[in-house]
Formats: sequence, C-alpha cells, structure tokens
Amino acid sequence: MKIRRPSSAVYLLGPLLLASAVSGQAPTTGASLTILSREGRRPLPVVDVQGHQMAGLDDLSNLFQLTIREDSAANAVTVSYKTRTVVLTPDQSLASMSGGRLISLPAPLTRQGRRWLVPVEFISRALAPMYDTRVEFRPASRLVVVGDVRVPRITAQYEDSGGTLRITFEITPKAAPVITQDQNRLLLRVEADALDALFPPPPSQNGVMTAIRAVEPNTIVIELGPRFASYRTSTPVSSGAAAAIAIDLVTTAAPVAAAPVASVPEPPAVPATPLPVFGAPRPSIRTIVIDAGHGGDDPGVKGASGLTEKDVTLAVARRLRSTIENRLGIRVLMTRDDDARIDADARVSMANNNKADLFVSLHANGSPRPSARGAAIFSLGLDKVEEDARRQSQANREVLPVYGGGSREFSLVEWELAQASHIEESTAFAALVEQRLKDTAGLAAVSIVTAPMRSLAGANMPAISFEMGYLSNPEDEKLLRSAEFQNGIALAVTDAIVALRDRLDHGQAVPAAQ
Amino acid sequence: MKLKRRDIIVYTGLAGILAGALGVLLIVGPRWLTPPASEVAPPPTAPATARKIRARLLYVSEDGLHLSPVEQEVPYGEGAMEQARQIIEAQVAPPQAPLVSAIPPGTRVRTVFLTQKGEAYVDLSAELRANHPGGTANEILTAYTLVSALTMNIPAIKGVQILVDGKEIDTLAGHLDLRRPLEQDGRWISQ
Repeated sequence: MKIRRPSSAVYLLGPLLLASAVSGQAPTTGASLTILSREGRRPLPVVDVQGHQMAGLDDLSNLFQLTIREDSAANAVTVSYKTRTVVLTPDQSLASMSGGRLISLPAPLTRQGRRWLVPVEFISRALAPMYDTRVEFRPASRLVVVGDVRVPRITAQYEDSGGTLRITFEITPKAAPVITQDQNRLLLRVEADALDALFPPPPSQNGVMTAIRAVEPNTIVIELGPRFASYRTSTPVSSGAAAAIAIDLVTTAAPVAAAPVASVPEPPAVPATPLPVFGAPRPSIRTIVIDAGHGGDDPGVKGASGLTEKDVTLAVARRLRSTIENRLGIRVLMTRDDDARIDADARVSMANNNKADLFVSLHANGSPRPSARGAAIFSLGLDKVEEDARRQSQANREVLPVYGGGSREFSLVEWELAQASHIEESTAFAALVEQRLKDTAGLAAVSIVTAPMRSLAGANMPAISFEMGYLSNPEDEKLLRSAEFQNGIALAVTDAIVALRDRLDHGQAVPAAQ
Repeated sequence: MKLKRRDIIVYTGLAGILAGALGVLLIVGPRWLTPPASEVAPPPTAPATARKIRARLLYVSEDGLHLSPVEQEVPYGEGAMEQARQIIEAQVAPPQAPLVSAIPPGTRVRTVFLTQKGEAYVDLSAELRANHPGGTANEILTAYTLVSALTMNIPAIKGVQILVDGKEIDTLAGHLDLRRPLEQDGRWISQ
C-alpha cells in the first residue's frame, strides 16, 4: 500500500449544493489519529462534532487515493476506490456500498464549511472493506494501521506484593522485548514497527516506579523511583497468540525516607545495578557460553530450501545472547560470532577456561526420512567404561596443598570426562528447557535424550546440546528460518536459565529429568 | 660278410644310446605324463559362498527416528570374524526400495576384525564421512546401524568401533563420540 501525498491528491470538488448540516454547532479540534504504514507515520486531523470524532473526506482522499464526487441531484456524496464505491447521505447514518451492502455509522455525513466530515468509524466500516490492503482502526490507541506493518498490542497489569512490584506485559501478536537499564529507566524494545500500547497509571506511592509510557517507534519506558533496587524478568504462561513477560521491580529493604538516625547523611542515589552485598552467596550462574554449532566449511545439515545448520545456529545464538544479556545481566560468551570452523575441543575449552557456569550448544537436526520433526535436548550419557572411570575418579580424591597455605580436596577426572561430574544438573537443565519449549508456537514435539555426545564430554559445567528442529523436514525448516520461532527459542532457553538459577541460588536440589 | 672292427664299435655305441634312451623313457617318462599326487585338485565340493544365513539388518523406520530390523539372507562366513564381515558388507550395500539406509551412499567395507574382548572394529571407506548428511539423529542412526547389525546377529560381539580409512575417528558429523566402541542401545531400535 502506498499512501499518496497531498500534492498528488485526486480530490474532485463539485458544486456546493447541500445545505450545511452543522449550523449552530461549532466543531472543536480533537486529537488527531496516526496513520501507520511502511511509508511512516502521518497524522489524520480529527474534529469533535456533537460528541462524535469526525475526519475530513478530503484528508482521507489524500491519504488513501479516494475519489469523492458530490451528486447534487441525489443529495449524496460518493466515495470511490478503484471500482468500489460507498454512497453517503448528509442526513443519514446509513451508507450504501457497492454490491448493495448497507453500513451503519454512529453519525451522518456532516458539512463543515467547504469540507465533508465523516465519523472516524468510517475507516473501519467502509474504507477497510473496499481497500485492497489491510486497514485496521484501533480506537483505543488512535492508530490506523495500513498494510504489512507490525504493530503489536501491549497491555500492562501491576501486582504489588510489598517488596516487589510485578508488571506483566501481554504482547499480541507475540514479539520478544529486549530489556535494558539506562540509569533510572528500564527500556523495553519490542521487535515491531510501532506499538499499540495502553498502560494504566502506576500504583501510587510505591516508590519503585514513577511512570510508564510508550516512545516511538517501539520502546516502552519505565521510570524508576528512589526505592528501586533491581529487576528480574520471567515469562508467565500466556494465551495462544499473546506473549507475556513479567518484570519484577525489587524495592530496597526500607523506604529511603525512613532513615533511622537523622544525622546520618542521605543515602546516595540508588545505583543502576544493585551493589554486591558482602557475605552474600555467589550467584550460581555468572557466565554462559553459547555454542553455535558447525561453521566455516562445515555447514552441518542442509535444508531442502537451502537453509544450513551453521547459519540457523548462529542466528539463534545471537538472539539468545541478546536476550540473556538484556534480561539477566549475565556474561555471555560465544564460541563463534561469525562463519568460522571451530574444533569440538576448542568449543568446550573456551567454556572451561572462562569458568562458565553453563554451556549451551545449538544445533539443527537431520534424518534420512523427512517425516522426522521436533526439537530434542541432548545431555551426556555415559557408557559402562566412562561410568567406571567416573566412579574411580571420585573414589581417588586427593588432598593437595594450595597456594597461600592450607589444602584442598581434588577429584582428578580425565579431561574428556569432565562432564561426568555435572550429568545430573545437565539433565535437569534439559528438562527445564523442554518444559519452556512446550509453549513455543509451531514446535511439533520436544524430547530429552542422553547419548555419548562428543561436543559435551569435556565441558566442566552443566551442558546441553539443543537440536532445535529438523532441517530435513520442510515445515521445521520454515519454522527455523522465521524470526518469530528463533525468538521463541531464545525466550524459552532464557526462561529455563532463570529457573535453573533460581533453584541453584536458593540452594534447592536440582531434580533429575524424568 | 665280415664286419670290420670299426663298424662293430659304431653299432655297439648306437645300441647303448638306444638302450639308455629307452630306459629314460620307461623310468622317468611316467612322471611327465601324470601330475604328481600332491598337486592334484581335490574333488569338487559345495563352495562356501553359496551357503546363506538369516540375519537382521537395520533400516530407518517410518518415523525417521529409529531403526527397524529386517531379516535378510546374508552369505555364510566361516568363523565370527568372517561372518561379521559378511553382515557388514550386506548392511552397507544399497538397500532395495522402499527400505532406507542410514549408511551414506558410496561407503565401502575395508575390513572387519574382532578382538578377544568381543569388540568389533569396522573399517569403512572415507565416503562414510564425506557423504554423510549431518545432524545428530542421522549420525546416531548411522552408527547404531553398524553397532546393531553386529551385536544383534553375533552374540559374541559386545561393542563396535567405527574406523574410517583404517583410522580412529572422533565423530562422523560432529556430535556422537566414536572414540571408543559403542555398545548396543535398544532405544534406537523400533519395537
């Protein structure tokens, strides 16, 4: 759809035959609507007439390439678009469309000086049916969406539980927000051309949040209050078409105003990120290594339409990195961030050498038969030889002196069996990923598998190999190519990381996968 | 007629030569005319290659996620090692439709040998890796086709290690650890 500029308007002004229908009613200028299309944003002026929001037919003509003709004999105005027409009559709220269909409007066609005005509902009831691209009028946000532009609806709800204010956003259709903190503001950037956002006012006097608003084109800004300490995100279960994301704003222990001693100087402004507390336990997950499988002259599986495993793994790895960094503030390293071949040992070495707390290897699957579909999460399974070696290494613990005095107990494990010590955590993490993936749109099935995985054997931390779908299946290949599916994967894995971190941070045993 | 002394000597010489020649002909001649007993071919018997056994070979199931055993005739092999080779030869051969094999096309058997511990080493040509389509499931199905073909048909074989061009390999396509012999894993066999 191409919105025409006023200079190229085709607006046929006929003789002004009809008597004014608004005599004695002075229209007032109202807030304009915003037309959103691929060409950008354009305002559509709106006036208020007897409580009705009215738009000028001349403005609609300019924006939508309509032709307007006045027929004095029939006392009517005909609005045409290509071969389709709608006939309006000044004193009637009914309009007649080509094909004999009648539509109802909340107010009749109205004259204002030399202009004709129609209620804004004309856009959805008359213009949209006769236009050849999508025209969607969203009265609440005063938007008119034209053509193929992504304008998700976003709503927010608050839940104040004393120490934490939870803001739950619902985004329809699903889109993944990227959350960053900028001093005293949280920014949610949504992958969209514009936002259709309506937010209730924040709860008063909670001190953790002062305002919330949408900023063009696609950002939600949360102004943080003086009691803000930190935030965390999670993904509650949402209805089919909507994505839900919850942001918990955690407050400081006591209101700033309630300083115990008057002589104590005022505390400094709350820092952007909470300062570490001395004596607090070390967070269980501080560094994650994401491994985009294959690369360089090793393309991995090739789909029928040309998508390669090495490309899809890198695309999802980048999305996952972005999601984790923005939502969790955890350090993320990538085994590769370009099209390079990396040796299997070099991948886990990077994780080991950087003392990573989690290793996630991304892959796409392939089968000799195209019928195979779905995702699979692999963790290491030990054979009898490896299991014996693991038991022996645990039995042969040695106490060795350490630098600075004292001693420490070491369990000497062969490098290639490093993963053996983390198998329970790895299978538990695989189960968490499986649970979060079940809501991912389009995914046919999810399974957990243990196998002697070469890519995981040397990882000295919980590790999984995640097969996101089958490139040998045309439908899975289509899914793997889509940004929506890739974002869904990134969100699901991030949620699983949050769940694992919460369990580990709270000292809960990680349950083994069923 | 009276023979001269010189003629007597000549005739006597000729008679001696003839007698010697006759002796050679009668004593040594038969050895030329008949082959020695040790070089005689044994009486013909039924060739070993004509004998067959029934073996379960593995092909990809309809769901594309498992292997289905299919009973087929395989040449008989004398001893476990030769039988293992015959089974792998049959397993690697291109299947008849509608069967689908997880062995990459063009793969050839170089050798198969067994150890005292019941481990089989299956040495295949470079096409096993070069023509492999990749993917963890594909890799698992390829490896366990070879493992299952031997462990399901020859009980003495407990594990199978895959070699390519006579050398140990880390993986086929980057996923499955093939540095050690793999044991049979029933999870990949469809019921």
